Amino acid sequence: MILLWYVHRREGMSESKSEILQGTLDLMVLKTLAAMGPLHGYGIARRIERISEEALQINQGTIYASLVRLLQRGWISATWGASENNRKAKFYSLTRAGRKRLAAEADNWERISGVIGRVLRLAERR
Amino acid sequence: MFSWIKVLGSRIRGWVSIRHVDEDFSEELATHLEMLTQENIRRGMTPEQARRAARVRLGGLTQLRETHRELHGLPAVDTILKDARYAFRTLKKDFGFTAVVVLTLALGIGANSTVFSWINATLLNPLPGVADQTRVVTLMRGSGDRISSSFSYPDYADLRDRNHVFSGLVASAIYPMSLTYNEKPERIWGTVVSENYFDAFRVKLQYGRGFLPAEGKVPGGAPVAVISYHLWESSFAGNPAIVGQKIQLNNHTYTLVGVAPREFLGSYTALRSEIWVPMMMHRQIFPIGEDLLKDRGDSWLIIQGRLKPGVSSEQAQPELHTLMQQIAEQYPKEHEGRQGISVYALWKVPFGATAFLGTVLLSLMAIAGVVLLLACANVANLMLVRGVSRTREMGIRLSLGATRGRLVRQLLTESMMLAILGGGVAVLVTLWTSKAFASLRPPSQLPIWLSIQVDHRVLLASLAISVLTGVVFGLLPALRASGINPASVVKEASGSVGGGRRKIRLSSGLAVAQIALSLLMLVFAGLMIRSFQKAQGFNPGFNANSVFLASYDLLPEGYTNEQALQFHQQLLAKIEALPGVRAASLSDWVPLGFMSSSSSFVPEGYQSKPHELIEAGIARVSPNYLRTMEIPLLEGREFRVDDTKKNRSVVIINQALAERYWPQQDAVGKRVRIDGDWATVIGIARTMNYYHLNESPVPFIYLPLYRDYVPSVTLHVRVSGNPADLALAAQNAIHDMNANLPVFDITELATRIQVASGVQRIAGSTVGVFGLLALALAALGIYGVIAYSTNQRTHEIGIRMALGAHPRDILGLVVGQGVHLTLFGGGIGLAASLLLARLLSRLLFGVTSSDPFTFIGVTILLAGAALLACYIPARRATKVDPLVALRYE
Repeated sequence: MILLWYVHRREGMSESKSEILQGTLDLMVLKTLAAMGPLHGYGIARRIERISEEALQINQGTIYASLVRLLQRGWISATWGASENNRKAKFYSLTRAGRKRLAAEADNWERISGVIGRVLRLAERR
Repeated sequence: MFSWIKVLGSRIRGWVSIRHVDEDFSEELATHLEMLTQENIRRGMTPEQARRAARVRLGGLTQLRETHRELHGLPAVDTILKDARYAFRTLKKDFGFTAVVVLTLALGIGANSTVFSWINATLLNPLPGVADQTRVVTLMRGSGDRISSSFSYPDYADLRDRNHVFSGLVASAIYPMSLTYNEKPERIWGTVVSENYFDAFRVKLQYGRGFLPAEGKVPGGAPVAVISYHLWESSFAGNPAIVGQKIQLNNHTYTLVGVAPREFLGSYTALRSEIWVPMMMHRQIFPIGEDLLKDRGDSWLIIQGRLKPGVSSEQAQPELHTLMQQIAEQYPKEHEGRQGISVYALWKVPFGATAFLGTVLLSLMAIAGVVLLLACANVANLMLVRGVSRTREMGIRLSLGATRGRLVRQLLTESMMLAILGGGVAVLVTLWTSKAFASLRPPSQLPIWLSIQVDHRVLLASLAISVLTGVVFGLLPALRASGINPASVVKEASGSVGGGRRKIRLSSGLAVAQIALSLLMLVFAGLMIRSFQKAQGFNPGFNANSVFLASYDLLPEGYTNEQALQFHQQLLAKIEALPGVRAASLSDWVPLGFMSSSSSFVPEGYQSKPHELIEAGIARVSPNYLRTMEIPLLEGREFRVDDTKKNRSVVIINQALAERYWPQQDAVGKRVRIDGDWATVIGIARTMNYYHLNESPVPFIYLPLYRDYVPSVTLHVRVSGNPADLALAAQNAIHDMNANLPVFDITELATRIQVASGVQRIAGSTVGVFGLLALALAALGIYGVIAYSTNQRTHEIGIRMALGAHPRDILGLVVGQGVHLTLFGGGIGLAASLLLARLLSRLLFGVTSSDPFTFIGVTILLAGAALLACYIPARRATKVDPLVALRYE
């Protein structure tokens, strides 16, 4: 928890506890957009569920709060387009700032999860 | 790092187009829902099942929209706007209440913004047009009480060359000058300045240039001038091509090299200079007496400097002090008595307008604060009363789940709105009252000029005062109104019994405060008005009535010493021959103006202490001066026409000088050394007030006008009839002798010396108005409380009347309550006045701060107003119909 909190402090905003989980969601959304290219809200939600092998069951609606936050920070952009079924849908794509952000966050994440892993293993050995 | 700015920007955009954002999002959600449904159908659900499952999967639509909206917009702003809309509706519904409150606040805030606009134009902007004024300081010679504003030129040059703290040190002196361009000569005020003047003050000229370093080198070698924007417009038709043209100034030809910007008036607060010429031309401007550029003993320059970056005036002070002491040690004879230097910020300069206005304006600001406090008490009381009638509304909102904080915020929004409305009206009032200051300006021969405007600083200050006011008067009633038990309110039909008592107590407390504050204000006002009266009727030691003045200057006309002497004497003979003239004389000085001239001297036979400053005020006067002014001559004689030759120098001294330097001796026949010559005392005049109304006896020396070349003089004529009738005849007499000679500053002596009571005039009229405001507010306050509590007691009164009470008893009951409040508040007010009025003693004249006449007078006035305010609701109470009253609830 503390380490996750650290990630968010780097944004220069102190955020409440409930938003810590959202922060991880934001990171997942960024990663998804990086991997898949422009995607609509439904597509992003589905992709995250699928990758996590349905382990992460979210209310798909929460994805939109995440998208608004990312839009407001300029890390993603949105345009109206047509979906596979020719329906009007809003497509989100990663901006250059978002790509940079993702790289930094991902590094951070790797490092932190590595540390957590070591700490946990260390604790097991004692 | 800047991401929060980006977010805020996006939120503001979202907030502005919230409807569009909402529609957009709804559409997006619809698509999402549709896709989920399709997927569910593919998985084998019926369309109905699929739609329901999709909805569950997506989450509550309303909640999603709400969250989205909050993320997108500015929820805090939304709440404030909602509160404001609600407040606006409530206030509109209660128009009478709103109008009274706004008006009360406008008066309170207006008093403050008016005084602030005066301070803004003077103390906060002492030299308009000068950049970065906080870095500019004025030097005073000496320290403590014995300070003088003037320096000699050689001292200035030494200070300029040897200091390490100033990026520019400026010397200047203001003179009346005669300007000729095209035809008739024009008398204007101009300043002789060191050549670094415009650079050091960082004044960017409108046209042309300032002065060059080369123009500060050779005496008489820089015949150039810069004119003011005002002169450029009035005398040169605003023609930019004027730069490079020639003008005549005191009979010498100068080339105009620049026009100053519009806002720049010069380097003395509230004085407007029309022209500036380099210091090197001083001899050409003022060709009388010694060459002042070489004379270390004659002090006539004002020195101001711009501090180097990073140097504070506290750091500059010791270096300059030491420097001046070194100079004084080097030339001890010229620096007796005053050896150091004191550094003053521009707004604190202890001479001129800042000295004059500093005390008055700051005191007025404090007094205006009391007026505002009074207005706040008034409005708080009105709000409190209104809060009671809204108890039901509050109770219902509380029981419906509103938090107390929410209600307080709502009520504060209301009071803030009232305060801002009041502030708005106050600004409109200030647009007019800020100009009123100019009309309080005393008549003077000096070019006094104040440009008072309602600028952004006044607006900002008014806004700040309004917001503060809103919190001050709104918080208490808001806490009171919201601090109720909803259950009791809903139970009680109208909340008239339980909560009412406490509220009446609080409201009575506020009324007591109002009475106390307004009594304080009335005492202030009374003391000021009495001071003004006393100052007006004050006997300064000469008779100012039935004397008129007219000035002329022979210097620009090219009169030599002998010619001037002849002119003066012939003119006096002509004037004295006019019918109705009782006495006439000439002087180079008029008492109780802003002008003063002093000189050090040596009294014969007096043992001086080391470094003792022996100084006296001086004036050059013609024969018959004391008789014209009706200054009693205690001993000896007046000057005679033949007291002209330098080798037979004579002086008249005043009693204060005689007693200080020759105590218990006959001063007539003693000698004083003044201007390098020994002169014999031939007369002793009674000491009078020379410069101020409040002055300790000043040693004074009258020198014979005919001894020296004094081309610029003021004619004093005492008449038996109306002075105005003779003024024209006197002017004609002057023009008979020289048709082209300008005659200026024609006025009565009594008018001219009003400048001496200027402080009392400004304070008296302003505080007088404040006092009337206070009286009205207090009466309104008492009326409000009594009327309200009487209204609350309608039921009780009805029962009393039904049981046989006489209307007189009811009258006594209600008025008694008011008398109670008045006595209590009055007592506190009198005690506070006795304590606080002492702070005004510097503004008072001729009355003590505990003047019994004032105290008794205003107490009676306030008691009268209070009784009247009680009587109206009491009267109404006696008219209560018992039947109606009993059915009241």
